[in-house]
Amino acid sequence: MNESTLILTLFAAMGLGTGIVYAAVGEIITERAGNLNLGVQGMMLVGAVAGFWATYNTDSLLLGVIVAMVAGAALSVIHAFASVTLRVSQIVSGLALTIFGTGLSSFLGEAGTEPLVGEPSKATFEPILEGGLADIPVIGPLIFGHDILVYVSWLTVAAASLYLFKTRMGLSLRAVGEDPASAESAGVNVARVRYIHIMVGGALAGLGGAYYSLALVPTWQNEPIGPAGWIAIALVILASWRPWRALFAAYLFGAAERIGFTLQTLGEPWSNIPSSILAMLPFILAIVAMLIFTSGKRAKLLGAPAALGLPYFREQR
Amino acid sequence: MTTRRLIVEPRGLASSRLTLSVPLASVLLALIVGAIFLALTGNDPWEVYTKMAKTSFGSSRGFSETLISATPLILTGVAAAVAFKMLVWNIGAEGQFLMGSVFAAGVAIALGPGTPMLIAIPLVIIAGGVGGAFWASLSAVPKVYLGTNEIITTLMLNFIALNFMNYLIFGSNSPWRDPEVSQFPTGRPLPDSSRIPEFFNRLDYGFIIAALLAVLAWFLISKTRWGFEVRIVGDSADTARYAGIAVPRKFLGVFLMSGAFAGLAGSLYVAGPVGALDPRSLDLGLGFTGIIVAALARLNPIAVVPVGILMGALNNAGPSLQSIRVPAATVTMLQGAILIFAVAGEFFIANRLRKPEKKPTADATEGVEA
Repeated sequence: MNESTLILTLFAAMGLGTGIVYAAVGEIITERAGNLNLGVQGMMLVGAVAGFWATYNTDSLLLGVIVAMVAGAALSVIHAFASVTLRVSQIVSGLALTIFGTGLSSFLGEAGTEPLVGEPSKATFEPILEGGLADIPVIGPLIFGHDILVYVSWLTVAAASLYLFKTRMGLSLRAVGEDPASAESAGVNVARVRYIHIMVGGALAGLGGAYYSLALVPTWQNEPIGPAGWIAIALVILASWRPWRALFAAYLFGAAERIGFTLQTLGEPWSNIPSSILAMLPFILAIVAMLIFTSGKRAKLLGAPAALGLPYFREQR
Repeated sequence: MTTRRLIVEPRGLASSRLTLSVPLASVLLALIVGAIFLALTGNDPWEVYTKMAKTSFGSSRGFSETLISATPLILTGVAAAVAFKMLVWNIGAEGQFLMGSVFAAGVAIALGPGTPMLIAIPLVIIAGGVGGAFWASLSAVPKVYLGTNEIITTLMLNFIALNFMNYLIFGSNSPWRDPEVSQFPTGRPLPDSSRIPEFFNRLDYGFIIAALLAVLAWFLISKTRWGFEVRIVGDSADTARYAGIAVPRKFLGVFLMSGAFAGLAGSLYVAGPVGALDPRSLDLGLGFTGIIVAALARLNPIAVVPVGILMGALNNAGPSLQSIRVPAATVTMLQGAILIFAVAGEFFIANRLRKPEKKPTADATEGVEA
């Protein structure tokens, strides 16, 4: 039962979606504060290489994760400075972060006398349960069969949801994203709130990147995350800026990514479908879903932060 | 807070010296950042930079290769410049470039070897522009009529275009695929009659065409009534509406024009140095690099030409670094850093900083923490 194609596909989809979950939740938090950071891809890649490097040198997965988060947050400060303090275009600043982060990640993986590229990780995240609960039909693998970072991602989603919608700080954060001028009058430091939550987004993107290099493909290669950062950005809109929806949307993307492999195992005629056509699916899915759900006034109804993407000029209050 | 604050004042019109020195400083600062990372990884930055300069500018062959690399960047740079100036966030030059390549190669293959060059080459080039505009329309039309966010749709369409090209070459027996090669599929070579002739080492006339197209873009934006109205829309959509300008149509026009330029980059690339729709020899990232070109050129289509040559020099030098055991990704890192400094530099072009007059009041309303 647990070896059936369906269960194996769903299980793999959850793994493939986990890196995206972290990045998307981080981006939701950043965007809820009114800042659009298109640097997710770059922050994930820098997190992936930094986390791999730390684990490679210390054998510690925990240190790998911490270093990845610090690296992602550090990179995001560049975007925070440019878009919040200097108030230049958030879009161009985020893209700059992605290009720089992509280059830096590959550079750090290849540079030096003993480059990381091609090296297997010294430690990897493995499923925590072998047998026992993980053998229960259907829910065994899907609920109990994962590595620790999958469970941490569920906790992260729950924590982000509570933080955004049930705490005072979450309320200030959303106020900054909706109407920074009013938030400022109410005593909220708009710039500080944005800085903090851009960095939280960066840390989570870094962690999401490290999930690829320490769990999914634990041998260093250039750009190990594919287009995950871009998918995370699209997913924020599809999830209408809500963490729980992002979790399930990320698994849906994971399934779309896995479907090619699944069809191969099903044999003819399914295996005849070209992989390049299947590889388009996640992106077609994103566009179709956007056309249906987020066009025009519906975007606002879904909960897009009103001040998203706009720089805040205190003096024009 | 006790931090001293600098006063930020908006500058009226920035001097031309300032608008020139900010991009130059961006490049310099990026080279310094790059030098730090090179030194940290045990490389000699001076050796790396000298190697890059020698590769791209040190010989006539090297310089012609630089111009070959610059050709698509000039056009993707123009694509980004015209779009961003009107606040059309077309991040899809990459996909429009690939679709332009697909269309151009398709027309060249359909025309076959019998068509005279003077007919074939213009048709092939135009086909690329049409392909790019078509791909842009998939984002532009929903944006204009439904309000669908174009940043995300253009991005997603990049990956769809990439996989579509892969499908044509690797996943099917399409006319784009070379029927002679079965083991490792490649693109079918374009007939010679569709190939743009070379005039300086391997450099073909595509470079000249790209430079002329950049001038054309500048003319359209700066010297025509259409361009004037488009600039009003870019400054303020409300003002434009008040002035009776059809904003959605202008938006659509700029978006398609941007896509067409990116597509033209594709046609000049396949009909020029590459000569086939080949996923392995088509550089990826030319669309994104175009954004760097546009930002450093401060969205001026004419300035895009020299900046495109500079970025082309970097791209051209990248692979040569491997001979001194330095990653080619050094170049991407430098380009990203250039863009970071260039976009931050916009602040200093738009504003001036000065020290507070004596005692700064606690509630200084305009300020950057110093």
